[in-house]
Amino acid sequence: MNGEYAAYARRSACEEFLYNEAYLLDDRRVFEWFDLVTEDIDYRVPVRTTRERSADEEFSDQAYHLKEDHESLRVRIERLENDFAWSENPPSRTRRFVSNVTVLDADDDSFDVRSNLLVHRSHEDSTTPDLLSAERRDTLRRTEDGLGLAARLVLLDHTVLPTDSLSIIL
Amino acid sequence: MSNNEARRTANRSPEGIETLMETVGEQLEDGQLPVSVLHNEAVYEAERRRIFGQNWVFIGHETEIPEPGDYRQRYIGTDPFIFVRDEDGDVQVLFNSCRHRGSKVCRSEKGNSSHFRCPYHGWTYTTSGELVGVPQQRNAYQHLDTDEHGLHEAPRVESYHGLVFAALDPDVPSLEAYLGDATWYLDMYVKFIDMEVIGDPHRWEVETDWKTPAENFAGDNYHIPMGHKSAIDAGIGSDTATGEKQSDLYAIADASGHSFSLYQIESDDPNFWGHPPEVVDGFHPERLSEDQYEVARKSGVTLGTIFPNLSFIHLGGTNAPEKESVGTFVLRQWQPKGPGQMEVWNWILAPENASEEYKERVYESGMGTFSASGNFEVDDIAIWNGITEAAGSVFAEQQAATTNFTMGRFGDAAPERVPDWPGPGETYVHGGLTDENQLTFYRSWYDAMQEEPR
Repeated sequence: MNGEYAAYARRSACEEFLYNEAYLLDDRRVFEWFDLVTEDIDYRVPVRTTRERSADEEFSDQAYHLKEDHESLRVRIERLENDFAWSENPPSRTRRFVSNVTVLDADDDSFDVRSNLLVHRSHEDSTTPDLLSAERRDTLRRTEDGLGLAARLVLLDHTVLPTDSLSIIL
Repeated sequence: MSNNEARRTANRSPEGIETLMETVGEQLEDGQLPVSVLHNEAVYEAERRRIFGQNWVFIGHETEIPEPGDYRQRYIGTDPFIFVRDEDGDVQVLFNSCRHRGSKVCRSEKGNSSHFRCPYHGWTYTTSGELVGVPQQRNAYQHLDTDEHGLHEAPRVESYHGLVFAALDPDVPSLEAYLGDATWYLDMYVKFIDMEVIGDPHRWEVETDWKTPAENFAGDNYHIPMGHKSAIDAGIGSDTATGEKQSDLYAIADASGHSFSLYQIESDDPNFWGHPPEVVDGFHPERLSEDQYEVARKSGVTLGTIFPNLSFIHLGGTNAPEKESVGTFVLRQWQPKGPGQMEVWNWILAPENASEEYKERVYESGMGTFSASGNFEVDDIAIWNGITEAAGSVFAEQQAATTNFTMGRFGDAAPERVPDWPGPGETYVHGGLTDENQLTFYRSWYDAMQEEPR
């Protein structure tokens, strides 16, 4: 396999993974999504602040909207399936748009992937959606069952969240 | 004028607010509140002046600006201020508006700077607000007295053990007098324990009136089994909610207009909100009375609201059932953003002298329970939003619809006044079955709304 083809195949595999998980989440098949997550998952959505251009960093390394491991993610997923989870019952309707997928680094077993994410979230009969926009930095790893999500960093474009709760997976 | 007419007038015009407030005064005595006050343009405008313009309002915690030059942008009501530690190490709360043309002189949410320079024409101020730079002053502004043109300061700024408050009204009583009996309870959090803010606050927009969560944290313990069933079923939250520990709930309905709820665990083993002994070792019992210490020792989850819009929850618990319980202290401010709209600000604090590892767990547990993604919080908000829709409705206005705060009012009901409670305030046991805490919140609100802007 020549190098160019290998790079194309890698990106395709990563795109397929990201699209598939987006479908699972949009279809509320959260347990199936959770099966794609590795046991050592590191899932983070840091708090962003408005800073001067000269500031080193807009994203906090201490404050997070979500900072989850396998156990705490499982709690969130299980809770969502509870009939009394009022934030998602009736559920919000989400549509995840994933684009600009770029494989930043790869070895035989894992891929560091950057992509853009736009989540269109609509509640009840409101015609005004909540729009969440972010860059994602993911590590996808080969497992016995195909690719798995080993790490995710969601870099939001918002400092004040334009949605009333983050009871969805980004 | 009938109540209905009064309400319709009030909803139409700022002048009608006095009539609406008269109705509020009468109805509160019967444990009722016109629901329309939770989504009403005239009420909102009056609140900006009478509530946020004339009371002590939380600005931030001193640990958010530890070094000279550290600053954060903050708001009093909706008015922009800079919360900054000046070069002398003093805390300042400066109006974020240039004295020349009014532009914001500070446009970042946080940072460190020796000066604030207006981007419009370059007028420059020190971190204590003095005007020290006016471009071409010798040619253009010879007459300008720079001493008279420093940044405006919030008229009053005081700190209570790290909690900084400011007031737009220079004539408010001292912060300590304003907090009054509430200090007895606050001392258990901020005097007994040197607290530290971890990272930056969460901020998010919610279509709910700021009074709804302020009322909820003032003492709505009745909603927990229903509102938070999903999280409790998942085995997370406080040890008392999950049934891990048995407790009695004390409602401090009126501590100088502020309200608290304290779950007390009767046991020889100390509880201290679930903080482990090695963390408790760093607390300061010498700063508490014996009575306060004993209440702290028995404390499971405790929460409350400092009028108007600062609430807190000190929660011994966890964000996942397999994980160890920790004590997490969450401060939040319900910032008004319009009729029926607010922005939530959420700070997670940990004992300053705990290990980094412990602080990290405190953060994760706080975030997993009470934050924009908090497994408890998210369900509250989904429920509260519906109140706003009803409150702004024509039908609620026509019907003079009220919300009900009459729980536990009758002789055979469970909540009882506790005569021998060691702390100040009007105290009830079985505190989940009384609305007195919430009524205290609305009485404070009603009283403040009577005050004509000065």
